[in-house]
Amino acid sequence: MFRAEAFAKTFEYAELFVQGLICTVSLSALTVVFGFILALALAVMRLSDIHVFRFLSRERQRSLTARGGALYALARFNPLRFLSTVYVEVFRATPMLVQLFIIYHVVLAGVGIPTFKLFGFIRFERFVPCVVALALNSAAYLCEIIRAGIQSIDGGQTEAARSLGMSPWKTMRFVVLPQAIKNILPAIGNEFVTIIKESSICYTVGVQDIMYAVTTVKSAIYTIAEPLIVATCVYFCLTFPTSKIIAHFERKMSAGDRRSGADTARVRKSKNLALKG
Amino acid sequence: MTNEKLIQVVDLKKHYNRGAIRALDGVSVDIDRGDVMVVIGPSGSGKSTFLRSLNLMEEPTGGAIYFEGQDITQKKVVMPDGKKVRLDIDAYRRKMGMVFQHFNLFPHMTILDNMTIAPVQVAGIPRAQAEEKAMALLSRVGLADRAGAYPLQLSGGQKQRVAIVRALAMEPQVMLFDEPTSALDPEMVGEVLDVMKELARDGMTMVVVTHEMGFAREVGNRVLFMDAGKLVEQGTPEDIFTRPQNPRLQDFLSKVL
Ligand SMILES: Nc1ncnc2c1ncn2[C@@H]1O[C@H](COP(=O)(O)OP(=O)(O)OP(=O)(O)O)[C@@H](O)[C@H]1O
Ligand SMILES: [Mg+2]
Repeated sequence: MFRAEAFAKTFEYAELFVQGLICTVSLSALTVVFGFILALALAVMRLSDIHVFRFLSRERQRSLTARGGALYALARFNPLRFLSTVYVEVFRATPMLVQLFIIYHVVLAGVGIPTFKLFGFIRFERFVPCVVALALNSAAYLCEIIRAGIQSIDGGQTEAARSLGMSPWKTMRFVVLPQAIKNILPAIGNEFVTIIKESSICYTVGVQDIMYAVTTVKSAIYTIAEPLIVATCVYFCLTFPTSKIIAHFERKMSAGDRRSGADTARVRKSKNLALKG
Repeated sequence: MTNEKLIQVVDLKKHYNRGAIRALDGVSVDIDRGDVMVVIGPSGSGKSTFLRSLNLMEEPTGGAIYFEGQDITQKKVVMPDGKKVRLDIDAYRRKMGMVFQHFNLFPHMTILDNMTIAPVQVAGIPRAQAEEKAMALLSRVGLADRAGAYPLQLSGGQKQRVAIVRALAMEPQVMLFDEPTSALDPEMVGEVLDVMKELARDGMTMVVVTHEMGFAREVGNRVLFMDAGKLVEQGTPEDIFTRPQNPRLQDFLSKVL
């Protein structure tokens, strides 16, 4: 099935695979960075407490308590949360390839992205739409990760910060987010691995990633099996160590959690004692 | 000790589920400067809700809380020139320190950073000055040598002492304590109570929810007994502990003393 001479021929194009590797890594790294920033905004929107029609409830409280009735439902309507939720659901419910084509062929088609070659070979005007599409897509997934991370932080942390007079924003920035992000770093790492793999669809719009190297070599040596094997190895060598490193950090961090877990257990025990006594 | 009113609570109510649960059911009380007010009562009687309403950690569903004459349950304040502006609740919270049962130190910051984050970020005090003050406060509770440690490396009693001085770093007018010793191992209760006693001696206005009847007797100048969301009886520790009037208070004391 595989022929040695075909592998030999494939290796003559090794430079294309190296370029593909550089392209895939920069594509994925930029996607995670921009996706993360967007996801942070989406998560904060989703957890926000803004009710434009709150006056309808005639409640004097700042936070609205759950109650029935259509008027009350309208009073609780939060446009930011609504937008964020719609965004997340739409991007998670549609195929990545469709999103990429819409961004590349429709949304950014008329935008004059400067045409030059990044690192001397990556065509910038094709690279940018891919980063945009991948970042928009992964932001939807990262948003859910960040939201869960924020919600996992003990409410006592927020209370302590607010009781010191910190504003909601400063509480988020100095107290909640630093802890949340530390907790979700492994999940973000996993998302990075996912993006490395998903970015392989970008060859369809002519970005010179690893898969693009495969198609180029295929048309040069009239065989696809061997180039595909080489590409598989390159992807594997990229994602396998990355996920191992992430798993290592994950173990290290959960070791720290176990210690604080023991701490809470002791607190609970002594609370029981205090109640009995 | 001046007898000036610091906080006036008027008919304070906190209802849940459209009044099905009445955590606070019309509580009125004045807190004067220099008061050490101890709040006691059975579990679920609304002690925490009362304390947490004072700095609006819980938002009351009715009644008013006047802090230095300003009703802080209102969303708008009328300025002297007649203009209405948003009431800055954070500004009022700065004047009320709060100490929690579970300490709630920030685990990702050193003790010193825990102490300085609010003075620097909220009060705008220069870092060097805030650190100097923090070190002085830490020395007062015998923890200056732990300034660089993380909360996880401290014992429960040490954490609570840090939590107290963290609140003091904002120079509050009143300190609110919600069962500050309930989460501590018995051998650490004393060290925290000692810090609170010293605070009381220095004239700090304090509102303390506690099950430590010894502390209530020794340090408190007023004791409130709450039951089912109502303020049932109040008086000096002497009145409450030796001459309880209300049968529910008598029953409660027979169980805890
Ligand atoms: N979010 C909530 N929803 C519904 N009911 C609540 C809520 N929070 C508190 N309550 C109720 O309000 C009442 C008063 O609670 P609170 O915590 O103030 O009591 P407590 O006196 O502090 O009790 P403990 O000594 O156990 O701390 C309780 O009956 C409680 O169940
Ligand atoms: Mg309580």
